[in-house]
Amino acid sequence: MDKGLLKIIKLFKTVFLKQGIDFERMVAIVETKLTMDKRRVYMNWRQSQQKENRNHLNMILFSYLFFGLIFGIMIFFIPSFLLSMIMMHAYVLFMMAMTMITDFSTVLLDTTDNQVILPRPVSGKTLFMARLLHIFIYLLQFTIALSFFPWLFTFIKYGWLTGAGFIITVLLTVLLAVFITYFLYLLILRFSSEEKVKEVVTYFQIFMTIFFALGYQVIPRLINLKQLSYDFTLHWYSYLLPPVWMAVALETLQSYRFDVVHVSMICLAVVVPVFAFWVMNKYLAPSFARKLSAVQTEGNAAGKKKVDANSNKSLPGSLSHLLCRSKAEKSTFEMTWKITGRDKAFRLQFYPGMAYILIFVFIFVFNGGRDMELHWQGLPGSNRFLWFIYLPMFTISSSIIIVAFNENYQASWVYHSLPVSRPGELVLGSIKALFVKYFVPVYVLMFAFCLYIWGISIADDFAFGLFNNLLCYLIFATLSDHYLPFSRQPNTRQQSGRFLIVILQMIIVSALVGVHYLVLQQSWFIYGLMPVMIICCLLLMRNLQQLP
Amino acid sequence: MSVLQLRDLKKQYSGTYVLMGINMECNAGQIIGYIGPNGAGKSTTIKILTGIISDFEGEATVLGMDIRKNPIEIKQRIGYIPEQAALYEVLTPMEYLKFVGRLYQLPDEVIEKKSTELLRLFELGDKTDTRMNSFSKGMKQKVLLISGLIHNPEIIFLDEPLSGLDANAVILVKEILSQLKQAGKTIFYSSHIMDVVEKISDRIVIINKGQIIADGDFETLKSEAHKGSLETIFTALTGDEQHQSTAGEFIDILKN
Repeated sequence: MDKGLLKIIKLFKTVFLKQGIDFERMVAIVETKLTMDKRRVYMNWRQSQQKENRNHLNMILFSYLFFGLIFGIMIFFIPSFLLSMIMMHAYVLFMMAMTMITDFSTVLLDTTDNQVILPRPVSGKTLFMARLLHIFIYLLQFTIALSFFPWLFTFIKYGWLTGAGFIITVLLTVLLAVFITYFLYLLILRFSSEEKVKEVVTYFQIFMTIFFALGYQVIPRLINLKQLSYDFTLHWYSYLLPPVWMAVALETLQSYRFDVVHVSMICLAVVVPVFAFWVMNKYLAPSFARKLSAVQTEGNAAGKKKVDANSNKSLPGSLSHLLCRSKAEKSTFEMTWKITGRDKAFRLQFYPGMAYILIFVFIFVFNGGRDMELHWQGLPGSNRFLWFIYLPMFTISSSIIIVAFNENYQASWVYHSLPVSRPGELVLGSIKALFVKYFVPVYVLMFAFCLYIWGISIADDFAFGLFNNLLCYLIFATLSDHYLPFSRQPNTRQQSGRFLIVILQMIIVSALVGVHYLVLQQSWFIYGLMPVMIICCLLLMRNLQQLP
Repeated sequence: MSVLQLRDLKKQYSGTYVLMGINMECNAGQIIGYIGPNGAGKSTTIKILTGIISDFEGEATVLGMDIRKNPIEIKQRIGYIPEQAALYEVLTPMEYLKFVGRLYQLPDEVIEKKSTELLRLFELGDKTDTRMNSFSKGMKQKVLLISGLIHNPEIIFLDEPLSGLDANAVILVKEILSQLKQAGKTIFYSSHIMDVVEKISDRIVIINKGQIIADGDFETLKSEAHKGSLETIFTALTGDEQHQSTAGEFIDILKN
């Protein structure tokens, strides 16, 4: 797609030349930048990245197209024109802003440009134009992918005039999204460092991944809901919401109404984005560039002042004393605890998985949102708290695998050069850390929720469940490949044989849940079986520790 | 003929001056070593001379042209090799060199021919079409060297050019630099290690805290240092004496 857009630009060669822009150099820059876009590793899609040659950008565009299809179908299901248009524009605004924030940050924050292009004979005007064109083409690709199906459906359902208007309002919305992104970055840069920006971006990325996962699960279910047929009424705060302006502006095209509300909304829809864009070009972008170069030059000197205070008396430190016996175990416990909290890649891969716990609860316990109230009322009488006890383990167990991978995998030479007699201790330490850091808090939350619904009577089940879960977890750990934490190169994950293990895991978990289910029949079983479970756990731990 | 002229060059970052009035004139066909401890202002000077930093105080003339007035013309005739291997890593060496070559407006065939040959000489012949993110620092540095020289510039600016290169490559680069000098090019190059500079430089300029504190060939500087005027800087750069006591302390702590 980018090649085609570039060809269109080449048609305007004379226009650029008249502006005093060096056309050949500009095209060279834009072309190179677009090539780089295609090769960048997109954070949201890390897991799917395997081969170098694969064009990530096209994959993303394709998935956006698909997402647009799913979302766009709602146009046919929502009878209210206004509501469906508001949703479409909100969707475009949200998706574009998120895309810009998560993926384009690498482009915006990249200061390599200064080193590579500035020493070459390229005039400032040419470079500026090249950058603008690059951003323009990049955004256009995403806009087209995102809004193609919503546009098509609008076109089919509401006719060509609204369809044409839709294109314009979507473009205006994209302008707003760009503005929001710039503004957000500037705000963060204003109050903190570039490092912080990257941190914030990571959280946006996690949020984005969660949103996608949720979106695919929840939107198709929402379509079946009847509540959406509500009509939309304008409140005073509608004037603050850009998607509403766009939708009302489109309604004018649809129904030829020109009252005060419609005209003022059209004004807002057109004037605000254009004005925002002007402000951005005139004030935000230059100050942004200045901030960035300042960050870059001063960053080395002043940026690294953050010292982790009282790291001796920290939480992982005291926990490791409590839970680990040997020194080697303690040190991997603390290391795993700290690195998992700081490593971007780990957080990106693991945290979205945590969101799946919520999604699973939504699907299994509440039957995917259908007849929500009925299920809610029926909860206390049911055995559904078993879901709450065992669902967390499904995602938490994935951390055992993820934790083996790290970008600094070379640093694991340290394990091999140390005089550790039983490497099993190292693995055990890190496994304990993951369990305590991720499973326990989630489990406590689940417990609190269930305590509220079912009352104190389920306390013993949760106690039993804890050891049952621990047993599950330890079995998984025993079955896994026992890589030392952070010792493997990312993307070398071999998929063969994994499937079998997943099946095995499923069987084990269901067996243990089955045991729990049986236990429910007779209350004293719990107390009889608990010691057995604990002994099993201890045996497995010993086993892990003895690993060669 | 003087190809570089700096008159009272100053540069400040948000209130603090990192360059406090540099005055210098360099003749064509020389290798100038520009050395100083980290943070002395070496890179900043080079960035001003190559037109990367455009807001500065004082005057800077390159090849007889004011750097503020004719930046494009100057940039066409100079080459710059940055530190820290700053290049577009997702590209292959060939793609990167083509990109840079086009910015210098060289014809595509010429770029391709030159790049292939030069990469082969640097033992990267089999990596022409491999993306550079898997490259070692030394390999990237080699590509940067080629990209800074591909348009056959008259003055070459190098910022820590030898860092990360293996021993053989260091010898090769040194040899290339002295042959470039033979061909009448001017080479201006920064480093924080005296060791490398002293062997190939015709002239050494030492800067510290934004000011030039010594200027001359290696022998002159050495004798001046023994007179005491710039002793500490000189020992820090050449690396003697005070390091011995630091090392001794280091060993003592290990024993406990």
